[in-house]
Amino acid sequence: MFLAMKELMHSKMKFLMIIIIFVLMAWLVFILSGLGNGLSTLAASTFKTMKADYVIFEEGAQSSMSKSLLSDQLVAKAEQLPNVDAASPMGSTMATAMKETSTKNEDKVDIAIIGINPGSFLEPAIVEGENLSSENPTGVVVNSTLKDEGYNIGDTFQLDGTTESLTIIGFVENQTYNHVASVFTPMAEWRKIAFAAPGSDKGIAGPVNAIMLQGENIDPEAINKELSSTDTVTRSEAVQGMPGYKEENGTILMMLAFLLAISAFVLGVFFYVITMQKTNQFGIMKAIGASNRFLGKAIISQVFVLSLTSIVVGILLTYGTAAIMPKGMPFKLETSLVFNYSIILLVIAMLSSLVSVRKITKIDPLKALGRVE
Amino acid sequence: MSKGLHMREVTMYYAEGNNRITALDHVSISVEPGEFVAVVGPSGSGKSTFLSIAGAMLKASEGDIQLNGNHISKLTEKELSNIRLQEVGFIMQSSNLVPYLNVLDQLLVVKRMAGTVKKEDKAFATKLLEELGLGLKLKSFPEELSGGEKQRTAIARSLMNNPNIILADEPTASLDTKRAHEVVSLIAQEVKSRQKAAIMVTHDERMLEYCDKVYRMYDGGMSLAKS
Repeated sequence: MFLAMKELMHSKMKFLMIIIIFVLMAWLVFILSGLGNGLSTLAASTFKTMKADYVIFEEGAQSSMSKSLLSDQLVAKAEQLPNVDAASPMGSTMATAMKETSTKNEDKVDIAIIGINPGSFLEPAIVEGENLSSENPTGVVVNSTLKDEGYNIGDTFQLDGTTESLTIIGFVENQTYNHVASVFTPMAEWRKIAFAAPGSDKGIAGPVNAIMLQGENIDPEAINKELSSTDTVTRSEAVQGMPGYKEENGTILMMLAFLLAISAFVLGVFFYVITMQKTNQFGIMKAIGASNRFLGKAIISQVFVLSLTSIVVGILLTYGTAAIMPKGMPFKLETSLVFNYSIILLVIAMLSSLVSVRKITKIDPLKALGRVE
Repeated sequence: MSKGLHMREVTMYYAEGNNRITALDHVSISVEPGEFVAVVGPSGSGKSTFLSIAGAMLKASEGDIQLNGNHISKLTEKELSNIRLQEVGFIMQSSNLVPYLNVLDQLLVVKRMAGTVKKEDKAFATKLLEELGLGLKLKSFPEELSGGEKQRTAIARSLMNNPNIILADEPTASLDTKRAHEVVSLIAQEVKSRQKAAIMVTHDERMLEYCDKVYRMYDGGMSLAKS
């Protein structure tokens, strides 16, 4: 630490430049991870926050709600199966909300209509207004982002292309599906909207898209065997099955992976070049008795101080950026996410400095002799 | 246990292609505490190899070397590094100071290598530097020092760990005559007063007057020239 700090203080400019590069990389890592997190929340938060463990789809639906159609008669059967604590049906369909019969751009909002049974475990906790009720099928609970579009409790909106109109009775938070705000309706109303066209329900009695199950020890195989033509998956598999979800997350993850790999190399090369510059110095110190351990510690502690400083500055910049980002931007920072990526960056920096430490152990103390600078 | 530096029949070979170069040829030398010995010789005569082996930086091919009673020919890399730290003080060509440490820290870093820096160490370092006329330069960096001051710092550094052996490699290489005399007489003075066994490798014949004995090297062999 002694050597490390003395050198940092003596060559501020050199180390400042390294810090700037490291800060920029850390900043980019945090922003990308925040964007990735924001996007995946936008795409599937309704699904992700549901208190369900497993999902039953129609066989061949590839874990996708939009490709799956089941009868709600299966719900009662599913509840009887071993390890299943509760089962409840769910349906989803995309729609457009329209104020009255306006044709103005700003009066149309894309929404996802999620049909659930009022009072079931799938119903999200409301932050304002009232819960869903079977007696009031057109009363809906919507995501709070619709407030920004000018909707309030008691407002009624028309669904574009249908004769249905819905009334907002409550608001929920962080409920989005397929990148748009979720609108929760009772199952019966959802069926009216989703199967408005005759025959679109394929003649199934009480059609639903999927059946959500609660129960930690559920064996998907056993359920598939008991209920014919079904496919049971975990909730996270169901999230992966959402159209575009994997592709979207994969893109961000790939960028992050590349960024981390590039960071490792850039930092490693920087530290290596700095160490190479000091070969002669290290030789002198070895000649007067410094052990490899002493010099290795100097390098590692220096890299640690540089990395920690850069990461902290990067985090501050990221939160600063988040504060001035436009509201509609799908950007969501989570402390755990920032913490994880900080640790990853720190570990990468430390590992990349090991190359330099290895170099030191190979420096010959004889370098100190007979060399005039 | 014999103090000082004792080498007996030390030989060093280098492989160069298919040939075997003899850099040191059965060299024997004894330096007692309080003795200041010079080794002179043309370049390529084996002076550097001799100093590297005496300073525990290089292992000899054959022969026995004792540094203050330690037989160093069979030690591991790590043990050698420790011997260098505890028993040997190096004064190198053009002083070779660490550029980002001030004069006082140049000395204290030696203590750091051995463990921690105590209050006494700091007092000792300050006193040493004052003795060598660097009392006003404690906080100066090497780039702010003159050649003579750098070399005096290097002398102080070599004495910091209170070693028994002092090795100087061309300490006057980059100094003018007046400074060179100052530096070498200072080394001689410290060697006498602190009872160190000291060897100075040099090609500067003017400096031999300060030494008790002069050895000459020629093609790897060593012979006593003046005592």
